[in-house]
Formats: sequence, structure tokens, C-alpha cells
Amino acid sequence: MIKQYFLAAKNTWDETFVYRLNFSIWRIRTVISLLITYFLWLALLGNGSFIFGYTKAQMITYILGTAFIGNLVLSSRSATIGDEINTGDLSNYLIKPMNYFTYWFFRDLGDKAMNMSFALIEFFLIFILLKPDFYLQPNIIYVVLFVIALLISITILFFLNVLVSLLAFWVDEVWPLRFIFFIIIQFFAGSLFPLDILPKPLFLIFSSLPFPYLLYFPMKIYLGNENWQGILVGFLISVIWIFLLIKFTNFLWEIGLRKYSAQGR
Amino acid sequence: MIISVNNLSKSYEVYKKEPGFLGSMKSLFARRYEEIKAVEDISFKIDEGELIGFIGPNGAGKTTTLKMLSGLLYPTSGQISVLGYKPFDRKYEYLSKIALVMGQKNQLWWDLPAMETFLLNKEIYGISDSDFKENLKELTKLLDAENLIEIQVKKLSLGQRMKMELIAALIHSPKVLFLDEPTIGLDVIAQKSLRDFIKEYNQKSKATILLTSHYMKDVETLCKRVIVINKGKILFDGFLSNLIKQYSGTKNIYLTLSNIVDPSHLKDLGEIKKYEFPSLILEVKKEHVNKTVAKIMEKLPIEDITIEDQDIEDVIRDIFEGK
Repeated sequence: MIKQYFLAAKNTWDETFVYRLNFSIWRIRTVISLLITYFLWLALLGNGSFIFGYTKAQMITYILGTAFIGNLVLSSRSATIGDEINTGDLSNYLIKPMNYFTYWFFRDLGDKAMNMSFALIEFFLIFILLKPDFYLQPNIIYVVLFVIALLISITILFFLNVLVSLLAFWVDEVWPLRFIFFIIIQFFAGSLFPLDILPKPLFLIFSSLPFPYLLYFPMKIYLGNENWQGILVGFLISVIWIFLLIKFTNFLWEIGLRKYSAQGR
Repeated sequence: MIISVNNLSKSYEVYKKEPGFLGSMKSLFARRYEEIKAVEDISFKIDEGELIGFIGPNGAGKTTTLKMLSGLLYPTSGQISVLGYKPFDRKYEYLSKIALVMGQKNQLWWDLPAMETFLLNKEIYGISDSDFKENLKELTKLLDAENLIEIQVKKLSLGQRMKMELIAALIHSPKVLFLDEPTIGLDVIAQKSLRDFIKEYNQKSKATILLTSHYMKDVETLCKRVIVINKGKILFDGFLSNLIKQYSGTKNIYLTLSNIVDPSHLKDLGEIKKYEFPSLILEVKKEHVNKTVAKIMEKLPIEDITIEDQDIEDVIRDIFEGK
């Protein structure tokens, strides 16, 4: 019964090829914004070898690393759920014996796979051309934990996306909300700088939110400068967030469907 | 009994906005909500294999009813049972036995050939390879669409796309089929081929079909039984022929005249619906038909005369206008 969802992922992949230009421009945008952050930090770092408790290699690795895993974590199609609720296209799925969320999760995976394959090529080129000072984690345990943190991060982002989209049951247009949401993620997830360079109290508040577990936390594990206690607490908080997000998503879905008016006529 | 609906109602909340900028600002702070009763206390029963037409003007509540039957909308009150299931529970066993086709909504993947959607549906409904092949062959043959399934959906014409929509909806051989305006926007030829298909499919598969349409022709050729609905209430439920008998108190007399007759001489015969020499159409009360025909024979220079029931379209219009 899982095959249907793989097919949905495959179709998403195929669909991307139809809009080649659109997709290429999206990739160019991603590369440009990466280069901007990269050169900004390079200039900031200058010749100094330490900044905010990070070595130069660690900082460069953090910036390039979050950009790279951002392709995996942040790329998604599930924003469309909001449109489908608003336009009434949701009806097409509701009348089928299928799980709407699983379907979209797999469509996200299709999109992530596509973005990742391009990111691999782009990063290969960046490494050849810019020869950045990149830190390779030698400890396999850190790498394994990093991968687990990524899986958690993908799940958190999916449910955050779905939650924002489900608000479409109550508002006629979710794009403004989505826009704010995107900016929040950009900042709070730590794609611009490592969050622990912020003042301690602020950082602690951030740490209790789900956002740092999207990019900052996995990258910190990869760099190996998070202690064991920090890793354990981080995993605990992020898993609790997944649990809460699933609960809340189901709740909104149940009451949303009762309000759903299957528009479009 | 396949479908049973008891005292079903559905109301929506819509908000009203005064026109203009000021109205928009006002609505930002204090929205005036108004409850709209889309469907009000309707009841009906449908047996297996029936092909039923739902007729009513725009906003009558047809689509709302279909959406409640297919589990999309949560009823405000009342009971629905389809195939023994409560639609809104949306059990997988229930959903795999029904299909809903909306003339103005598509489920096909717009950028991919329709075949990709069929294959996805095959997995969603868990159809075996052999059943899938057989159903697809049968459906494409009935719809004369063998060469369309590999073409990108967005490149198809509206009529062709509708055919693909039907295949996608029927590939799992549903027992109950809800068709919402399946012929909307199609040209006459496409309309007819779709109509023929629905009729043939109903006979072959014994599926129960509920259909809404604006086009009386659809209902006339397809459905024996009709349910007429307006402003959320059922006005008539029964055979189409009875509808005409019950609601139309008049018949039309079609005449071909051999000489021009002054209209003033025709007034006392009946209501003149149309007079363009040599043809004349008179609308006459049923009980007066015999007398009137005798008078006509006596007084008017006629070449030809026929008497017919009112057009179904006229009857329906009279009902909706409350005549």
C-alpha cells in the first residue's frame, strides 16, 4: 500500500522537469544567496582564526553546511496544501482511500530528492572553484547522530508547513502567513549564523522553540562542538516538538474538515 | 437500498462586505456573518442501479448534497447512509466504492499525461494489474480515447480532458458514482458522447449514478427519475413523465396555416406562444384542448396540426419561477 506514495514522489520529480526554467531560476537563487552569506562571513573572519568561539574552518563549514542541508530540510511542496484547501482541490484527495498527509510527505521527499541532486552538483563546483576551508567530521558517531537529527528536522519542518497551511480552513489566503513563516525559519533555524553567538538568555529561549532543530542543531552535532548533555537535551526537545506538532495538526485537521466548504463552485 | 437520506440540512456562514474601501476597512474589524441554508431538511432514497437526475438552478443545493453524500462536507443535521456507511467518516472501504466527478474540478496531474494519474489511482485503490488493464481498455474504448492517455493533460481540449477525468474516476469500478455537471462547457458533440457513455456505463456496470446538470437534455435522455431541488428544498421526486403531468397544466398546439390570419382572431383560442406565418404555436389548458382543436378545425385555414406536451425545460422553468 506504500507504493502509491512512492508514485506520488516520482510524479513530483517528473513534474519538476516540466518547469525546467522555473526550477533552474530557483537553483540560481539558492546558489546566489549561499555565496552572499559565504563571502560575508569570509570578510568578517578576515585573517583571524577564531570568531565567537568558532574556528575559521568551523564557521565556514557551518555556513556551507546549513546551506547544503537546507536543500534537504527546507525544500518542500506541502505549502500547496493551503492552496488546495482554499481552492477546494482538497476534495480530490478526500474522496480517495488515502492519507493526505502521507501523500504530501512523499511529495516533499520527491522535491527534496530533486533539489538535493542539484545541490550535490553545485557544491561539487563550489568546492572545486572556491576551495573552502571545510571541516570533515572524523568521528562516525557524530555523523550518525547528525543524520538522525536531519530526519527529525525534516519531520518538524513538514508538520510546521502543514500547520501553517491548515490555517487556510479559517482564512481565505495563507500566502502572507507563509511569507512571515519563511522569514522566521530563515532566521530562527540558524541559516544566517550559528544561533549560540546570540546572548545566552535569547539563545535559551530560541532553544525551546522547534526552529533551531531544523538547521542549527544538526550542524552543531556535525561540527562536534555540542557536548553530550546538549545533544541529549536537543533530541529530547525536538522529539517532544514532533509529538506536539502531530497532535496539533490532527486537531486542526479534524475541526478544519468540519468547517471545510469544498469551494470552487 | 443504496442511498438513504433523512432530514438532511447544511448551512454555511458567509460574511458580507459593503462595497468600496470603507466597506473593506469596516469588514476588517467587524464582520457581519450571515447564515445561508444551502440544503434544508431533504429526504430521499435511491435503489441499486438507478440513474437519477438532480435538477435545480445555480445555488439550489445540488452540489452541496452531492458533496455531503461523498463525505466532503459535514452535514449540519440529518442522517445519510450510502452503501451502509456514514460518508463523513470517510472509511477507506467506503471511499474505494464511490467516485465523484466534478465538471469544474480536475484530479488529473496537469503537467503529466493522464496515464500517470491512472497509475497513481491504481495504487491508491489497490487495483490488480489485470483488472486495471481490463478496465482501462474498456473505458478508453467506450469513450473512444485510446490515443489520448499518453498526452500531457494541459494539451488536451476540455472535452478530451473530461473523458480522462471520467476514466480516472471509474478505473476502480465504483458502485456509486456522483457526477456533478459532467457536461458543463462541452460542445454538443462532446456532450452527446459523454451522455451515451454514462448511459452505457450504467447499464453495463449496474452502478448507481447520481447526476446533476443544467442541461435538461442530459437529464431527459439519461434519467427516468428526477429530483427537483430549489433553494435547498426538494420540490419533486419521481418519474420525469409524472413531473410533466403534475406541473404542466397546458399543452402546445403546433399549426401550419395556409393563409395569413389576423392575430386578433386567435386570441380567444389560447395563448399565442409564437406566430411567424405559416407556423403558429398556441398554448392551451389541458381541459380545453378538445374544444379548441374543434374550433381551430372549424375556423382556421390549416395545413397541419399536432398537439404536444410542454417542453421539459419550460415546465422546469415554471416550477422554479413558482408559477
